[in-house]
Amino acid sequence: MALYNFKKIMVVPTAKDFIDITLSKTQRKTPTVVHKHYQIHRIRHFYMRKVKFTQQNYHDRLTQILTDFPKLDDIHPFYADLMNVLYDKDHYKLALGQINIAKNLIDNVAKDYVRLMKYGDSLYRCKQLKRAALGRMCTILKRQKSSLEYLEQVRQHLSRLPSIDPNTRTLLLCGYPNVGKSSFINKVTRADVDVQPYAFTTKSLFVGHMDYRYLRWQVVDTPGILDHPLEERNTIEMQAITALAHLRSAILYVMDVSEQCGHTLQQQLELFNNIRPLFANKPLIIVANKCDVKKISELSEEDQKVFAQLSAEGISVIETSTLTEEGVTQVKNEACDRLLAARVETKMKGKKVHDVLNRLHLAMPTKRDQKERPPFIPDGALTRRRAMEVDTPKRKLEKDLEMELGDDYILDLQKYWDLMNEDEKQDKIPEVWEGHNIADYIDPDIMKKLHELEREEDLKERAGEYDSDEESEDEEMQEIRSLAKQIRGKKQQLVAQSREKDITGPRMPRTAKKVERKELEKQMGDLGLEMDNKDDSHYAQQARRSRSVTRKRKREASAPPTSKVRSQSASRPPRDQSGMRDTKMVKKAKKMMKKSQRDMNRQGKKGEADRHVFDLKPKHLLAGKRTSGTNDRR
Amino acid sequence: MRIEKCYFCSGPVYPGHGAMFVRNDCKTFRFCRSKCIKNFKKKRNPRKTRWTKAFRKSAGKELTVDNSLEFEKRRNTPVKYNRELWQKTVEAMKRVEEIKQKRQARFILNRLKKGKQLEKEEAINEVKKNIHLIKAPHAGKSKQLEDKMVQQLQEDVDMGDENN
Repeated sequence: MALYNFKKIMVVPTAKDFIDITLSKTQRKTPTVVHKHYQIHRIRHFYMRKVKFTQQNYHDRLTQILTDFPKLDDIHPFYADLMNVLYDKDHYKLALGQINIAKNLIDNVAKDYVRLMKYGDSLYRCKQLKRAALGRMCTILKRQKSSLEYLEQVRQHLSRLPSIDPNTRTLLLCGYPNVGKSSFINKVTRADVDVQPYAFTTKSLFVGHMDYRYLRWQVVDTPGILDHPLEERNTIEMQAITALAHLRSAILYVMDVSEQCGHTLQQQLELFNNIRPLFANKPLIIVANKCDVKKISELSEEDQKVFAQLSAEGISVIETSTLTEEGVTQVKNEACDRLLAARVETKMKGKKVHDVLNRLHLAMPTKRDQKERPPFIPDGALTRRRAMEVDTPKRKLEKDLEMELGDDYILDLQKYWDLMNEDEKQDKIPEVWEGHNIADYIDPDIMKKLHELEREEDLKERAGEYDSDEESEDEEMQEIRSLAKQIRGKKQQLVAQSREKDITGPRMPRTAKKVERKELEKQMGDLGLEMDNKDDSHYAQQARRSRSVTRKRKREASAPPTSKVRSQSASRPPRDQSGMRDTKMVKKAKKMMKKSQRDMNRQGKKGEADRHVFDLKPKHLLAGKRTSGTNDRR
Repeated sequence: MRIEKCYFCSGPVYPGHGAMFVRNDCKTFRFCRSKCIKNFKKKRNPRKTRWTKAFRKSAGKELTVDNSLEFEKRRNTPVKYNRELWQKTVEAMKRVEEIKQKRQARFILNRLKKGKQLEKEEAINEVKKNIHLIKAPHAGKSKQLEDKMVQQLQEDVDMGDENN
């Protein structure tokens, strides 16, 4: 809640920037054009608008600054104290007060000048009034330059404060400088605090987070504290004191037994006694760090007695070494446990807990016989729980291996594979063969299935399924095929000939064309008929007698014809007999002729070409109700 | 690395080829080339598009139910690598492929046998109906008649001789 706002504070501009921003905004967002000849109320309105707009802007921004910055009385006392330490409460309050005053002054200025402008009687006068108003407002703001600068710096520092939640579980590390607090926090959490051999390496509070018992814990690292009275402490130490004072946490007082930090054991113990009052009501653990250099058992008798005394008072003293990591987990666990216990106790004492207590009821089943039924915890969980409590030596990571081998290191994840035969781990596994995925064929029973398939195949082959059934065809069939081929060829030939015909001009009937004797004999010869010695055949004789070619005949006396008409008709057969072989053919031709004429005659048509329709819309077909039927008849 | 199947034509999609389309209901469609993608976008049904394997299988033009086809199946649980098993599998694959090819070829051959039968009948029909285009009906008849007459005369002469 309080943390949240620190990062969301609006940027505080410098005085110059502030003025620039507001004035340019006024220029852009208000109308800019005004002329002398406008009506006076329009001119007044124009300038009043500018003054009011500027005032509004300043007012808004300053109010925002005032509300954004946290009020020291409203936030958690830890933060209030921290801010006091870092920024000086008085200065802070003064700065904000100044801003508030500036805001009020600007409002007053604007009000006055708007009132004056009501009596401006010319453009020039109104303009001057506006200039004066804006000028005064800007001067007021110019005077706040130092406050605004200070506030900007405060804002920047505030947003970078570590996000410490004052109410959650916290472990606080304190002690002299250089005792090992930052190393401790580095070991226990993922924080990466600077660890250096000089004192006051840590100059402010640092937070790290860790998990224990499925809860989130904060670990706060403080700058070291020296032993002098409160008034003489500087800001850095004061931060540590503030944290100690206000955070309700478990305290880990870190001591350096080996005195490598530059302070004797006595000094450290004195400091401990001095800040003891701050540790009231908080679980306290003394961490004797750097025990790899010197253990408590190696100390002198008196010093050991002091420690014994401390343990007798109920404060646990635990030896640790952040270098070798011994005792670190022990400290962590104990601190967390004790803090949890303390928190639960306080909650139990409070009022809110009663509502919850009613609901917390663990039902235990009544024993029905004497058999013991302990809860079952699997081995893995037990080992893991044990590992959480004790520091187990970490197994060798790949990262460590990489560090060792340096350039020679090759990442080989195949060595972790869990195969049946260890020596197959480095095999290159084939994945594809000839367009098929091998993974699709993998089956533990594949050989069995293959045997069955091969057996089936054998049976099929024996049954003759794979024999080629090309029965050699007998000669007759082959002859038929060749004939068919010839027929098809001839058909194509005829079609091609028909396509090549010259179809320009009128379509003459076939009889108009003269058939050459040679042509006829050739065609009939191709069809297999004997065409030699056909000089005295009918068609040849007719051809000789034909009149189509007029040849100059010698005029000689010829035998007089018996009858002129008869002779002519004798030389030329009548049309219904020409081209006919026998009477059978004549009869058939006649029949065909009559048949084709029959339909036409029935319909009363004049001939083939008569397509006249007497009645386009016969009434009997188109009139009347229709239920089902066709239009051909009704 | 896997060779996937194209959703439309059921052809192989090698790595680095084709495209994949993911629909809003999380169903993925892989395609081997833009021809299949374009057809898919036109909402054509691969079972009705004649050149796809889906059509051929559904129309019975190719072998669908056979034991040799049961070997190649997408398995969802991976098997741990075992050199011996892999080697055996590769050899089995080769043999299965042979058998599969044989059977598929035989299937198509059987399917096309009917065509040969029809062809034969058509040839016979053709010859019966249109023989007149290449051979006149009484092409060799005159020769036949002559021979017959000669034979007849011969017989008469023989008969006459016998009588005498």
